[in-house]
Amino acid sequence: MPAVQETIDQVRQIDVDQYKYGFETKIEMDKAPKGLSEDIIRLISSKKNEPEWMLEWRLEAYRRWLTMDEPSWARVKYPKIDFNEIHYYAAPKGTTGPKSLEEVDPELLKVYEKLGIPLKEQEILAGVEKSKIAVDAVFDSVSVVTTFKEELKKAGVIFMSISEAMREHPDLVRKYLGTVVPQSDNFYATLNSAVFTDGSFVYVPKGVRCPMELSTYFRINERNTGQFERTLIIADEGAYVSYLEGCTAPQRDENQLHAAVVELIALDDAEIKYSTVQNWYPGDKHGKGGIYNFVTKRGDCRGKNSKISWTQVETGSAITWKYPSCILRGDGSRGEFYSIAVSNGHQQVDSGTKMIHLGKNTSSRIISKGIAAGVSDNTYRGQVSAHRKAENARNFTQCDSLLIGDKCGAHTVPYIEAKNSTAQFEHEATTSKISEDQLFYCLQRGIPEEQAIALIVNGFVKEVIQELPMEFAVEAQKLIGISLEGSVG
Amino acid sequence: MLEIKNLHARIAEDGTEIIRGLDLTVKAGEVAAIMGPNGSGKSTLSYILSGREDYEVTEGDILYNGESILELDASERAAKGIFLAFQYPVEIPGVATMQFLKVALNEQRKYRGEDELTTPEFMRRVKEAAAELKIAPEMLRRPLNVGFSGGEKKRAEILQMALLEPKLCILDETDSGLDIDALKVVADGVNALRSPDRAVVVITHYQRLLNYIVPDSVHVLYKGQVIKSGDKSLAHELEANGYADIIEAAA
Amino acid sequence: MNMQQAIKMTAAETALVDAYTAQIGDLPGDGAVLSLRDMLVDELKTAGLPTRRVESWHYTDLRTLLRAVPSADPSAFADRVDPIVPGSSVLSVRNGQADLKSVPEGIAARSYTESLIDGSAVAGLAVLGADDAIGRINGGLVRGGLEITIAEGAEFQAPIEIQVAQSHGQAHTRFPISFGAGSKATVIERHLSTNAEASFVSSVSDVTLAEGADVIWIIVQQQGPADTHLGQIRFDLGKSAKLHLFVINAGGKLVRQELHGRASGEGADLTLRGINLLGGESHTDVTFTLTHAVPHTTSSEIIRNVIFDRARGVFQGKILVAKDAQKTDAKMACNTLLLSDEADMSAKPELEIFADDVQCGHGATVADIDHTQLFYMLARGIPEKKARAMLVNAFVAEIVEELEDDEALVEALEGVISAWLEKHA
Repeated sequence: MPAVQETIDQVRQIDVDQYKYGFETKIEMDKAPKGLSEDIIRLISSKKNEPEWMLEWRLEAYRRWLTMDEPSWARVKYPKIDFNEIHYYAAPKGTTGPKSLEEVDPELLKVYEKLGIPLKEQEILAGVEKSKIAVDAVFDSVSVVTTFKEELKKAGVIFMSISEAMREHPDLVRKYLGTVVPQSDNFYATLNSAVFTDGSFVYVPKGVRCPMELSTYFRINERNTGQFERTLIIADEGAYVSYLEGCTAPQRDENQLHAAVVELIALDDAEIKYSTVQNWYPGDKHGKGGIYNFVTKRGDCRGKNSKISWTQVETGSAITWKYPSCILRGDGSRGEFYSIAVSNGHQQVDSGTKMIHLGKNTSSRIISKGIAAGVSDNTYRGQVSAHRKAENARNFTQCDSLLIGDKCGAHTVPYIEAKNSTAQFEHEATTSKISEDQLFYCLQRGIPEEQAIALIVNGFVKEVIQELPMEFAVEAQKLIGISLEGSVG
Repeated sequence: MLEIKNLHARIAEDGTEIIRGLDLTVKAGEVAAIMGPNGSGKSTLSYILSGREDYEVTEGDILYNGESILELDASERAAKGIFLAFQYPVEIPGVATMQFLKVALNEQRKYRGEDELTTPEFMRRVKEAAAELKIAPEMLRRPLNVGFSGGEKKRAEILQMALLEPKLCILDETDSGLDIDALKVVADGVNALRSPDRAVVVITHYQRLLNYIVPDSVHVLYKGQVIKSGDKSLAHELEANGYADIIEAAA
Repeated sequence: MNMQQAIKMTAAETALVDAYTAQIGDLPGDGAVLSLRDMLVDELKTAGLPTRRVESWHYTDLRTLLRAVPSADPSAFADRVDPIVPGSSVLSVRNGQADLKSVPEGIAARSYTESLIDGSAVAGLAVLGADDAIGRINGGLVRGGLEITIAEGAEFQAPIEIQVAQSHGQAHTRFPISFGAGSKATVIERHLSTNAEASFVSSVSDVTLAEGADVIWIIVQQQGPADTHLGQIRFDLGKSAKLHLFVINAGGKLVRQELHGRASGEGADLTLRGINLLGGESHTDVTFTLTHAVPHTTSSEIIRNVIFDRARGVFQGKILVAKDAQKTDAKMACNTLLLSDEADMSAKPELEIFADDVQCGHGATVADIDHTQLFYMLARGIPEKKARAMLVNAFVAEIVEELEDDEALVEALEGVISAWLEKHA
């Protein structure tokens, strides 16, 4: 298993307690004043040259948000967030929207280079990078560049920042925005609807198989800012797209808020594969700092035989509150959720999925692997429901937790709701620790304990890793190894 | 006894056609072997004959003693004397084998307008048949087929056949997973049931079983049709040369 | 729920508060008990009955589901019925009145009313938490029950049936029961209604097993088709204590049966088995929590639900493994047969684990009758209706048969099940 070997090598290279993406970049920023009001929303909207209907939509969400309470049902604890202590808009100076690569501030390009994100099309084309991936790079509140736009355009695929899409394809945005995650869906999604600053927009037309992987890379850099991006992906009839998302942030003592909304829409026979490697700064070993990752992700299998597949590797953030879900509306549609959630130190993860079976002959599959170490808490929370008309709904759920050390907690909270006698649901969950036998076997073969654990953990999560596109799979394995450092002894 | 005429059938769920114009006649007293490569439709045929609802007959007819059985459900066909020995006998936890046998026997008798058996009479018959097939009495107290070995399951199928006294016995790959001793026990059980008013359809992939249950006729099934029929020598021919020649000749 | 401001009370809430007010001066209890009752009823007034926003009541929104509460009728009378297992010792509470005529040797029993009057009941009347609506209603309104002490090392030939029966109106009972070290007993806690008139019942059993006690406790709920049954059993398992807890729900219109336990001594073992037979328009919720508090404890839980008609089933099960409770072994399964397109089932099997050296798992399935099994039976000549009935029966009978050491008990429970199935299937 070369991938596992690679993990061991990576683990060897890296010092304990080091978040390698924790650097900060000094770039002159254009920031909105702290705090949230209708004026701030007007400011964001005007910075983005948005149409009037968009501003109205935002204000409606904001007024709604003022009446809502923060959710308290998740198994996470944190001091009350002061929503007036956050900058809701921060952009590198002079950036009003994505430009061509040549125009982007070289300092910014360096950031992405340092993060290992391929933005230079020439190099990629020259075969320096392994494969072609189109990237939308989002820095704090704005998209700084989107690569391969021209090539994608030839295939008919629209891939651009959502602010740009609002200007260039207002009809498409207006038709689909908020149709999966309504403005008033939940506290954070409503906040996002009011203040979202950027994000990616993808439209794959009828019958088109997107010629390359699309990806967005999110970077929170500025102090005291929140990141509120919004992603909207539409796969028209028979289309296919695979989309990757990566995230990092500098190491800071304060907590920063990330409240994103992602909406996926798959029409008849379309397929969307959405993969995330989330590695926001998790805070230091004393639990200081780190990102609050409060995200609403939902896919709507609107058409018959459509398919949406979520794969996530969650290793970062101080708090993760995230339930990528599928609404299986179209007959014969299918939803999948593959997840690895690693928590170490003081991290708190409350994550899972919802599979809502509405159409006939719909099926879903959930594979969740939680790994808790340090003094962290790791909760899987998932809902599977079959409605009255969801004949022959099928679900299989496997949800396993692994505990490393005796100071962490692993929790499983599934909600299983069947309202149709032809539904067949199967749910299995286990919690255990790394088998002494396996560990001893590795040690006896001369593998040090920490590496043995990385090896065994990689075996534990293999089923999910396999679902990731190749480039991400390697990165994910590295991350898992790194995240678990210092978990032994 | 059994007449299959231009039978076409497909999987109900996805419409895949499995049986494509099959003709076959089996007379009372006859033992007919149906052979064919994997995927030729052998097991499907056994399910269609016994009335499994996962398959739809789209054309043709199945006559049993001169009457079409297409409109009868599986339990009615069974009560009329059609017995399927399953390739994979189903485990039913919570239902003791003995209880199951009694209910099956009496329900069939009820359907045919016969009196139910008294418990002592039932017990006598079961014990007798079980002894013939070397089935230990405690096995009959266990839940149906649960925890039975492969050989025990097949013997239990033959036991049920002996007790229910069907007129048309369909054996679906009864030899699969059996060692030679178990195979002999099972074959003896089947041979003991051979009689002038009973027909047996033996579905098998290999000729091996036919050394013990000697057929009167052999039919080769391929892509849902009988492509060749003959006497027992056909089975030997297949054993020696495989299916390829016959398939080619038919094509 | 931190709702301090008074809510607008529903008809059921008003009826419960009125029942309390009407009985002031008449409800048994010393000063401490009476002021505790006041407090509990006050909480009911301010917080109301739990809604789906209270996580532990997510699938049983009591505030909405409980439309009416029949008023208490002091003249109600329930006849004594034969015990489920012939030859059992019967201790009964009928319409709240304890009957202590035939207490077998090895048991000390007194009416719970006396414990209320002398105040010894006060500690046990506390609620388990803010969401303990059953403890609250029962604590406010309880009039009678039995306080039972099983002597150390006592063993019994026949089961002890605690028969809790009422005809109509309200009945609120409590059963603090302690099993002495090394005692061995089978107890059947049976709830039934003697007629079809509506009754509202709350009952709390508080069971303690001392070291090495070995107890089979069977709850048989056979309320009438118009009844509300709010049951709760709390249990604490001492060192090497063994409890086989068996719950059969075969009645009631709105039923919540809570089971809250704690494995407090090393080597403690719980076996929980549940059979829920649901039909008509009933709503039945079984909510279970178990805390593995110390190392080396084991538990196994299997719940089987059979749901017909427009009935709705709920199972919530939470296994909590405390920090340091190493070597815990816990397995939970909830299997459901949904037999009608209008039936519905919600399950929430939770694991909450704070110790790393454990083996814990849960499984849940919801399905219709297995079609392969059904076809096999049809192919043997068994008509469909009969085959279905056999498969449904087999689905639940399997876990009754685990009690094979006591044939009379198995037979009796199978009788309860088949009688219900014959009526509903």
